[in-house]
Amino acid sequence: MALNTEKNSYTVVFAVIMVAVVGSVLAFLASALRARIDENQRFEKQQNILYAMGVNENTPESGVNFIPTDVVEGMFTERIKKQYVLVNGELEEDNQAYLIDMKKQLDALKKGGDARLPVFIGEKEGEEIYVLPMHGKGLWDAIWGFMAVDKEMVVQGVYFDHKAETAGLGANIKMRFFMDDFTGESLLDEGSYAGITVSKTNNDPLNQDKADNEVDALAGATITGNGVSAMIKETLKVYRPYLQTIRNN
Amino acid sequence: MEHIELFFKSIFIDNMVFAVFLGMCSYLAVSKKVSTAVGLGAAVIFVLGVTVPLNWLLDQYLLRDGALAWLGREYADYNLSFLSFILFIATIATMVQLVEIVVEKFSPALYNSLGIFLPLIAVNCAILGGSLFMQAREIPSLGLALNYGISSGIGWFLAILAIAAIREKIRYSNVPAPLRGLGITFIITGLMGIGFQSFGGMLTGDNEPPEGTAPTTAEKAIEEREIEKEIEEDEKAVSYNDVINE
Amino acid sequence: MALLSKKDANLILDPLADNNPITIQVLGICSALAITAELKASVVMAISVIFVMGIGNVVISLMRNIIPSKIRIIVQLVVIAALVIVVDQVLKAYAYDLSKTLSVFVGLIITNCIIMGRFEAFALGNGIWRSFLDGIGNALGYGVILIIVGFFRELLGSGTLFGIPVLGDPIAKTGLYSIGYENNGFMIIPPAALIVVGVIIWVQRSRNRALIEEA
Repeated sequence: MALNTEKNSYTVVFAVIMVAVVGSVLAFLASALRARIDENQRFEKQQNILYAMGVNENTPESGVNFIPTDVVEGMFTERIKKQYVLVNGELEEDNQAYLIDMKKQLDALKKGGDARLPVFIGEKEGEEIYVLPMHGKGLWDAIWGFMAVDKEMVVQGVYFDHKAETAGLGANIKMRFFMDDFTGESLLDEGSYAGITVSKTNNDPLNQDKADNEVDALAGATITGNGVSAMIKETLKVYRPYLQTIRNN
Repeated sequence: MEHIELFFKSIFIDNMVFAVFLGMCSYLAVSKKVSTAVGLGAAVIFVLGVTVPLNWLLDQYLLRDGALAWLGREYADYNLSFLSFILFIATIATMVQLVEIVVEKFSPALYNSLGIFLPLIAVNCAILGGSLFMQAREIPSLGLALNYGISSGIGWFLAILAIAAIREKIRYSNVPAPLRGLGITFIITGLMGIGFQSFGGMLTGDNEPPEGTAPTTAEKAIEEREIEKEIEEDEKAVSYNDVINE
Repeated sequence: MALLSKKDANLILDPLADNNPITIQVLGICSALAITAELKASVVMAISVIFVMGIGNVVISLMRNIIPSKIRIIVQLVVIAALVIVVDQVLKAYAYDLSKTLSVFVGLIITNCIIMGRFEAFALGNGIWRSFLDGIGNALGYGVILIIVGFFRELLGSGTLFGIPVLGDPIAKTGLYSIGYENNGFMIIPPAALIVVGVIIWVQRSRNRALIEEA
């Protein structure tokens, strides 16, 4: 059978069939796998939140070790005492708060609309600690994470992740040597919410100075580092009234 | 103002070749002569200028989370962003072939000088990169998307023009034989890339805002006053707190 | 190589050296620059490309007689993009941790001109088995360069391999660092990859002078 592959009508028919086949395969796959993918993403969020508040399986020398997926759900309900959503400064309890997409809320705020900002309250050595979600931009694409603070506004732990930062450079924001530096840093500088700056010039690679509001930058990843600094500032900006009430209590 | 800023930023700071290293294959393969480099560069500007706004429309009204809301409320929850790669690349390939057909039909002279480069462009990752950056950076309007497409195209054009000119000259230099051609081009591009990294300082150097966007003194004064007020309030709150505790 | 005839074996062996996609054919440079700052990412990328190219070449070769030449570029791109998205979605559902490592590369694989280049140059004109070998061979040749570049950039730039320190501790000044050695931060910025590839080309062409370009 000789096909005349040069005819216009053939080209059109071929294109239509190709689009139909590829489209339906992808659509079928996306909907068939949706449930599993959603579950994986749910576990990941729980792991990340717990990681930020220091609930993880890290040993001093290890890399990032999350609570395993099969027990994370139970651990999450056990360790996170309360999940709140801040709407117009009012706290509402919401057990699904961890599923909220922070990016959408920040976008809504920018447009002047109402946002639902999640807050997770956990407990560590008898003290309440507050985990806040973050979202920002790195060099290539989105970066996000969680930050756990106590009521003195001292960071108890962070978790960062990214969509597509450069491997070996910006991608290292999710490595322990970078994230661990944030623990112990204060978000306050003489009373104002200064945040924590990723600095190239603090000459403090081991981060012994915890009072300087700075951590050591990743070499070669300036823009990702600036993205992290900006993300923390942005988070402090939107959560500021709430953090103020924590400090006052 | 934001148009001018985006324009220069995409040409120099976020240069497609030297800052993000996209479109390297055709950049290295088609930079032996200035005249061919100009042809390919012009084609890239054109295709980027067309596909970025087109893909912006696709992203805005079809792909992004909630983009289908214009169809009716029941469609507002759809998120088709997993299809962006395939749709973007289909737009690009379609545009490239459309342009090829149109140019061939109406201007054979232009086709002869430009035509051979068009298929090369479909696989030029700078083109897809342009659309993906547009999506990731959430360029807010169609006008800015068009601007972004054209200016990043110009950045690529300048880069290939520069390397082609250097390669034409370097033919008269005594380069070690095994490095001749491709090898030395790689190394020169690396050096140029390092040079271009310094443009990044225009944006990220210290924490000073880039030139042109620096607030006027009046604005600064207002800002400072606000900050002071905030600090005062915070301090008040804290000291008030201390009083209560005591 | 009793399994393969000599001609078939050459399809795999040629791209490894004398017809290497990166250093000779100038294909797939962008990704070689973007991800070689560490060895692990290079290995992951190499494996993904071997997979996508092997299957992609077979698919294109199967369809080579029915693809209309006018829209062949679109068809090729759609095949690659669809393949990559399918793999990405399946991994997201069944091997979530692996998919997180790979998700960064999805865009890079689709735009990797090495894949398009081989579709166009080989799979469109050859049978299934030979196309498969050609795909695997070129992907291997690409992977070899990626791994060499990744090895040197990570070793010289960070003093580690696969994230494990091999030269001692740069902060506590042990191992090589105790005698004054310092990591070369220059190696981990992307332009350094260009220079490393340039040097690889230099070495390769010094050893095989037939590859030297006319000035």
